[in-house]
Amino acid sequence: MEFSEKLKRIYIYYRPIFLVLPAFIIFLIFFVIPVIGLFVLAFDKPVAGVIDIQGQWTLKSFIRIYSRSLYFDAAVMSVSLAAIVSFITLIIGYPLAYLIAKTEHVGRNTFLMILVLSAMQLDMVIRLFGLMVLFGDNGVINGALLYYNIIEKPIGLMYNKLGVVVGLVQFSLPFMILSLVGIIRGIPPAVVEASRSLGATPVKAFWNIILPLSMPGILAGTLLVFALSISSYIVPALMGGWKVMMMPLHIYQQIAEMGKWQFGSAIAVVLFCTSMITVLVYQRIAIRFAGGRA
Amino acid sequence: MFQKIIKKRPKLREVNDVGPLIKFGAVIALCVLLIPVFIVVLTGLNAGDHLTFPPEGLSTRWIIAFFKSEVFLSAFLFSFGLALITMVISTILGTMAAIFITRFSFPGMNFLRALFLSPLILPGIVLGLALYVFYITSGSGLARTFPGMVIGHVLVTLPYVIGTVSAALFNFDVNLEQAARSLGASPLQAFRKVTLPNISNGVMAGSIFAFIVSFGQFDVSLFMATPGNTPLPIALYWSLRYTFEPTAAAAGIFAILLVVTSMLITAKLVNLKKFSGVKFS
Repeated sequence: MEFSEKLKRIYIYYRPIFLVLPAFIIFLIFFVIPVIGLFVLAFDKPVAGVIDIQGQWTLKSFIRIYSRSLYFDAAVMSVSLAAIVSFITLIIGYPLAYLIAKTEHVGRNTFLMILVLSAMQLDMVIRLFGLMVLFGDNGVINGALLYYNIIEKPIGLMYNKLGVVVGLVQFSLPFMILSLVGIIRGIPPAVVEASRSLGATPVKAFWNIILPLSMPGILAGTLLVFALSISSYIVPALMGGWKVMMMPLHIYQQIAEMGKWQFGSAIAVVLFCTSMITVLVYQRIAIRFAGGRA
Repeated sequence: MFQKIIKKRPKLREVNDVGPLIKFGAVIALCVLLIPVFIVVLTGLNAGDHLTFPPEGLSTRWIIAFFKSEVFLSAFLFSFGLALITMVISTILGTMAAIFITRFSFPGMNFLRALFLSPLILPGIVLGLALYVFYITSGSGLARTFPGMVIGHVLVTLPYVIGTVSAALFNFDVNLEQAARSLGASPLQAFRKVTLPNISNGVMAGSIFAFIVSFGQFDVSLFMATPGNTPLPIALYWSLRYTFEPTAAAAGIFAILLVVTSMLITAKLVNLKKFSGVKFS
């Protein structure tokens, strides 16, 4: 009697766990285990065409990434292109984020947010279609320049690094804007008002007050954009035309075209770690600034 | 003299006013965001074989071609079905998990929250590859199947549902539910009759996000797509590698309509002012 009573109490206490159990089990089986499996595969002996775990642990794949300039350069280029994209996205995104943050009118604010969110949620391949029609050799921009005799033959705007950067900026701009809006809105107007009443010009107030106070959003946004850019497959594949080999392209090529499962997994692990480190730094910054404010 | 200083002091409104430079910059950002979308619409409604400068005029021939197209129409419908199934599963699982996360305190809650959000930060292609390798090596027979793809899509959409529903639950006064309980309602009754109607907007917004994210998902589908199971983004990608088919742009127009409608509904359901996109912490 007493025992069953005790069991019942334990059951009632732990009953809520059933709410989270289905999602947790799916995550455990189809997320945690596969990601661990990918790490395991990356440290296995690389044999083309073999996907099963052989249990012969080695660092060969990672040494290959480091020693072959093809892959090492891809890693360096991915990082540098992502850094450039972060910077450009910040410059382009800040004014719109500022405008959204300062728009008090509910309808106008919602309208701008819908524009940004729609652009963000729209399938990237469709947005790239638009960009490719614009930037291609027979595209709208080259067509217009030729039509007005500004150039004599099409200039290469796509299938090079320029194209990839343009594509990545278009891809990541909404994320930058959303990271900035909340922070800029949080800047108390009184601080700005105080600086202005003490004689600061609008430009000075912006430079000395608003910009430093938006720093958390700027850091968070650039890190987020960096992590997104470095792991994009579709943008370098289409805008770079497989000529700008960023890391995700190498992963696909090794796996789908060459059957080098271990080596492809090793590149995926390097990509995973790079973007994880970025995001951890991002979280640290976000938490520190949120904590400092509270 | 005091008069002069007071006159020079800008009013709060002025401080909040944005200058012409900011407005100019904002217009540029909007152009970067929207011109590619606009071009897709223009290409899909274009009369010529491809979009040229200057355009040749408007027609519905590519829209009609889209409805007759084996490749794009079936891919569109496939994506639609996939997104619907993903949405249903994600909404149910995500809402349950969000209730657990916001209402109860068990050890390891922070870990759980981080786990459920982690598909957002994991590069999509890494997740897709990890799943694909797992499907093959585990001998589960899920590789290149529809259920296998649904699982991948559920993983990437759950964070959005959990995020929006948790936000709705935070704003909901728990006392209301407790009042219902003290008046004799069972936990399930209290949830269904009191809590659910109050958080339904958040749940709906979350499910819309799940639908749209699944509909536009590329990375996770990349390794799993087969000729029979081709979502729209993958079909568009394969065609874009070789040509610019205006039929693809026509398919894009319908995808654009779907996304814009979804966002309009979301704006009615939840306050977009409080929405800050992808939340990492």
